[in-house]
Amino acid sequence: MAGDLRKRLKKLLGRYEVTTILAVLLLGCIFSLFSSSFLTSYNLFNLGRTAAIYIFISIAQALVIIVGGMNLSLGFIGGLTVVAVGYSIQEAGIPPMLAVLIGLCVGMIAGLLNGIVITAFRLNSFVVTLATSFIFTGLINGISQGYPYDQIPPSFTLIGRGGLFSVPYVLWLAILALAILGYVFKYTVVGRRVLATGGNIEVAKMSGINTNKTIILANVGSGLFAALAGILWISRTGSAQPSTGADWMLISFAVAVIGGTVLKGGVFNPIGMFFASLLIVMVKNGLVMLNANVYFEQAYLGVILLLAVSLESIRFLLNRKKMKRHLKEQQLIEGKGKE
Amino acid sequence: MLELKDISKIFPGVKALDSVSLSFLPGEIHALMGENGAGKSTLMKIITGIYQPDSGEIFYDGRKIEMRSFRDAVEHDINMVSQEIQVIPESTVAENIVLDRIDKFKNTWKLDWNRINETAQIYMDLIGLDLSPTDKVENLSAAYKQLIQIAKALSSNAKYIILDEPTSSLTTFETVRFIEIIKELKKKGVGVIFISHKIEEVLSLCDKVSVLRDGKYVGSRTCENLQRQDIVKMMIGREENLESLGALPVKEEKVLEVRDHTTYGQFNKLNFYLKKGEILGFYGLVGSGRTELLRQIIGADKKDGGELIINGKKAIIRSVEEALESYGIGYVTENRKEEGLVLDFSVTTNVGITIWKKILNKVRKIKTSEESEIVEKMIQKMAIKTPTDKTKVGTLSGGNQQKVSIAKWLAADCDILMIDEPTVGVDVGAKVHIHELIWNLALKEEKSIILVSSDMPELIKLATRILVFKDWKIVGELDYLNVESKDYSRISSHIGEYLT
Repeated sequence: MAGDLRKRLKKLLGRYEVTTILAVLLLGCIFSLFSSSFLTSYNLFNLGRTAAIYIFISIAQALVIIVGGMNLSLGFIGGLTVVAVGYSIQEAGIPPMLAVLIGLCVGMIAGLLNGIVITAFRLNSFVVTLATSFIFTGLINGISQGYPYDQIPPSFTLIGRGGLFSVPYVLWLAILALAILGYVFKYTVVGRRVLATGGNIEVAKMSGINTNKTIILANVGSGLFAALAGILWISRTGSAQPSTGADWMLISFAVAVIGGTVLKGGVFNPIGMFFASLLIVMVKNGLVMLNANVYFEQAYLGVILLLAVSLESIRFLLNRKKMKRHLKEQQLIEGKGKE
Repeated sequence: MLELKDISKIFPGVKALDSVSLSFLPGEIHALMGENGAGKSTLMKIITGIYQPDSGEIFYDGRKIEMRSFRDAVEHDINMVSQEIQVIPESTVAENIVLDRIDKFKNTWKLDWNRINETAQIYMDLIGLDLSPTDKVENLSAAYKQLIQIAKALSSNAKYIILDEPTSSLTTFETVRFIEIIKELKKKGVGVIFISHKIEEVLSLCDKVSVLRDGKYVGSRTCENLQRQDIVKMMIGREENLESLGALPVKEEKVLEVRDHTTYGQFNKLNFYLKKGEILGFYGLVGSGRTELLRQIIGADKKDGGELIINGKKAIIRSVEEALESYGIGYVTENRKEEGLVLDFSVTTNVGITIWKKILNKVRKIKTSEESEIVEKMIQKMAIKTPTDKTKVGTLSGGNQQKVSIAKWLAADCDILMIDEPTVGVDVGAKVHIHELIWNLALKEEKSIILVSSDMPELIKLATRILVFKDWKIVGELDYLNVESKDYSRISSHIGEYLT
């Protein structure tokens, strides 16, 4: 009975996201011990809002990592969306709801562009999204001339600033998005096919999967979630800043990877991503609370990211060693059986 | 003398070498033979330090040596010319020859090109390579590239050279020349370890043959007065005649007809058909175009012309998706690790990948319980040895991986199955099981099967008709095979006639 429990505990600890959850709890304890303002409802609410945006950004990245690619342009897709929405409302006088729809379309079209170029010319997603990054940046600067659109109606900030049961609306939305994607990847043909494409594109193709379709779809999804993140950012700040998204690319990789999205593709881990975004936000926020030098913030994040990826690798090496030992034992037993 | 004692090597799921002992002499051409997966290349990688044995020892002239890398092997005067041509095309002949020691040619801080070219010339002369050391390697023929690799091996002063299927990429003319050079090496006292599948070549060239089977050492024979059958018997562990499985109730109806199949640079107006319930064998050497033909038929690769008739109707297949979903054609790849299985995914996902669309409920959600049921049935039917259906396929043994690779197409319930080299790298037990399975698919489920195999006994045992492929053409057809008992030697010599 006790052995059974231990086995189960071991299995639980072996799950990828458990490490991240433990790290979140540990950091939470440390920060609340050393800073009285960390564990306040105001601070936690703010943490939740930022974490939610990070979740959307990292979903945008994870979707393409899953098919074995990457998206360097997602921050600029976000920025382009913000400019599109701001321009629609302020310059064109389009009602906010419609402007949001336009923004989402802009994001999806940008993703579609990435996906089509990648598949039609069989190019590496790195180079394609690097190039489109420049295109999107150019569009952002050209349309906005660098000025923010700040005549956003107050109703627009309802979702970005309000909350339910003292949890911000945006975080509820993020959780909903993760849950929907979790379902899609587990129970729908499209989701499974996207995963299989990332698992091994040749195998997927030879198993009757239209891999061009799955890759394009993942890129459109990536654009959609980048656009959602951009719109929620407007909703949070109350103004449409053209500089939105400039720092998203690194964050998106950090959250996705710490959250257990394997860089070579084929894996989606919603729970891991949820806690990874909390982890990143807490590090940023906690350091401020501890009066650490914020100019070094990026360095701390880098160290955490390195730790996270090494952990995966260390775990892999340990597992391999264990498997090898197991196989050796098994063969010895089999050998004896034959004699 | 280079001596191996009780060498064993274990890979996940398979004992690649099981206490193999062998010795090689200087001035001897020693052939190493065995079927695919017998352990030849693993053994060679151990001799050259690329792999370390799990147990066993290596002695060089009576002295025990330990090698941790290929560099160590070179230090011990052992070198290898691998099967694939490994040269740097952008570099010169001389550069390629001295590549692994190029740092020895430094003149304070710059390379001494004169000395490099002179040194290379010595070894080029040794094997009669009539090129200039400063020629670019890029545009040379495969034979020259092989010879450059040999010069490179010699230039390290190798006393033992391993040649891994060196003639597989050479033309007949080039091979003659190549063999001359190997004989020269022998005269100079170099020990040559020669890996080849070509029995005739081995018999005419080598002094001694050693055979491995399923990772075990079977025996060694001197080549004098040795017959082809003797080697085959050692390699496959029995006489070449196999028990016959009987005859199949093949229908007259043609389920697949390929007319004037053309792909520029490959096929020119190829024609063949497949009858309902038959097992049509494709025999030919590697590179004769069998796999390419099948890939083009199922839409994985493009063809340039020709018609496809499926069940009497004209068909156009542009992708594997269409082949599967519109025409019920499945293709079991010869390359399960790269094209057949997602090694990091579970058995369930790998088997289920072809059926997701068929097991949706009203809101288009995949019915996971039905998926598990089908997968469970396949695990039973194929006798796949796996801890659970959630186990990663990559951790299973080669034979069981192959069974999963076949199972996914059985689950898809295809009417036409194309099975490419189903038993490569599969142990004997699994091989027998896969044979029975293929036979029963045709016999009991009326599946129509195209079976590609380079394993002649396997093909003769299973096929009810054989097409012989050579240089992208069908050069012969054996249509008298659907009988109760088959005369193996007559059939194999008949195939041999077509090939020459």
